[in-house]
Amino acid sequence: MRHRSERGKNKERAQKLVTLLLPKSPISEAYRTIRTNLQYSSVDKPLHTLMFTSSGPGEGKSTTIANMAVVLAQAGKKILLVDTDLRKPTLHYFFRVPNSLGLTNLLAGGFALKEVIRETSVEGLHLLPSGPIPPNPAELLGSEKMKQAVEEMKSAYDLILFDTPPVIAVTDAQILASELDGVILVVHSGKTNREMAVKAKGLLETVHANLLGVILNHNKMERKKDYYYYYYGKEA
Amino acid sequence: MNDEIELREIVHIIKKRFWILGFISILSTLFAGMISYFFMTPIYQSSTQLLVNNSKEEAKAPLTVSDLQFSMNIIQTYIEVITSPRILDQTIRQMNLPLTAAELRKKIQVNTVKQSQIISITVEDPDPGRAAAIANNIALTFQEQVPNIMNVDNVQILATAKVEDHPAPVKPKPLLNMVIAFVVGLMVATLLIFLLEYMDNTLKTEADVEKYLGLPVLGMVGIIEPLAPSPRYTSEEKEAPVTNRSGRILEEPARKGERTIEA
Repeated sequence: MRHRSERGKNKERAQKLVTLLLPKSPISEAYRTIRTNLQYSSVDKPLHTLMFTSSGPGEGKSTTIANMAVVLAQAGKKILLVDTDLRKPTLHYFFRVPNSLGLTNLLAGGFALKEVIRETSVEGLHLLPSGPIPPNPAELLGSEKMKQAVEEMKSAYDLILFDTPPVIAVTDAQILASELDGVILVVHSGKTNREMAVKAKGLLETVHANLLGVILNHNKMERKKDYYYYYYGKEA
Repeated sequence: MNDEIELREIVHIIKKRFWILGFISILSTLFAGMISYFFMTPIYQSSTQLLVNNSKEEAKAPLTVSDLQFSMNIIQTYIEVITSPRILDQTIRQMNLPLTAAELRKKIQVNTVKQSQIISITVEDPDPGRAAAIANNIALTFQEQVPNIMNVDNVQILATAKVEDHPAPVKPKPLLNMVIAFVVGLMVATLLIFLLEYMDNTLKTEADVEKYLGLPVLGMVGIIEPLAPSPRYTSEEKEAPVTNRSGRILEEPARKGERTIEA
């Protein structure tokens, strides 16, 4: 039974790519607003590598980062989306690409970056899936090889987005955060616990992460606002 | 300014869980109605009135303050006498009531309208006929016994208790009970809503994020609904067989129970 529901979820994931399927919906518009705000959130230092995380599991990190990657690519940027959630990778479901080769092969299997990157149906958006689940994700992400890989990615892409496991559960996100230009905390409205979020923020601050801000997910928007967005959405 | 925001917050908190308010108040009203209509014995009321006259000699003389005082006192005395075991025991004996004097006492209310010489005896009983009979019997017994007890004969029965064709019970009052239950339900629900709000320590709004995390909100995303039911959840749990161009079946869809497991 568990097996089946897991498969159902994976099929639904592809449908959560709203920015691709319903580009004029209010939700897609919300992602574009975030894109704009992101451009102004770090004026002094241009953001090159960006990571999305949350305090606990199931708060919508992957959905958020996948949609953000799409709207950023639609803005004409060359985007690489990297699934660094080596414990429970999901990004390949969103873009319907195989996960047989990925980041773990690059870090531990002697593959080259070009061999493990997949193109997606979105122009300018490439995906680096996690690859086979390794026994030692934290060590892999903290390795010297990972640093080199990030540098290599930087030379080929305008912006690299990293999907990570939740901060509180495992240390993976903390390890990455210290190396990257910016961190975005995904908060699930009505689900993310106050104390947990504060704890997550503290954990990220101890590794001197550049916390850019929060994306509030699953926000119950008022109906009026929806109509308002639709009005402009149809005009565009 | 601050008060206004707090008030709006309170309205918002209640609005959010309005269903609790509706649910609990309606449920308690229904419950009270059900108890009142089906489980409580209806009680009927019947009353008689007695008139206390001044004795004839006194009536001729002009009334003085002390006369008035006396008649008020005597009425108070009568009230006590009516409910005394001497009267009640006799009524019980005469009517063969399965009650003690103390039990009967609880069914009886004896009142006087202030400044008047009228005493009313009200009896409550599940049986309207019995209520009237008891009221009348007490009044008669009292009238008979007064000369023996007080050495005066000045009590007349003004009105006897009668049984109406369709007597309405005085207790329970279902409507009143339901109104009370509704109000109590509202109060309990409001309390519960605030308790739930107090216990809920999740982040919900932009203001929450800024208040507790001190981080800017880059954006808010609404709820993403699945666009269409995925093929797996269509009404028929069946997949179309894979065919080639000429329609020959290349691969049968997996049947229930023999699904291939994917890595």
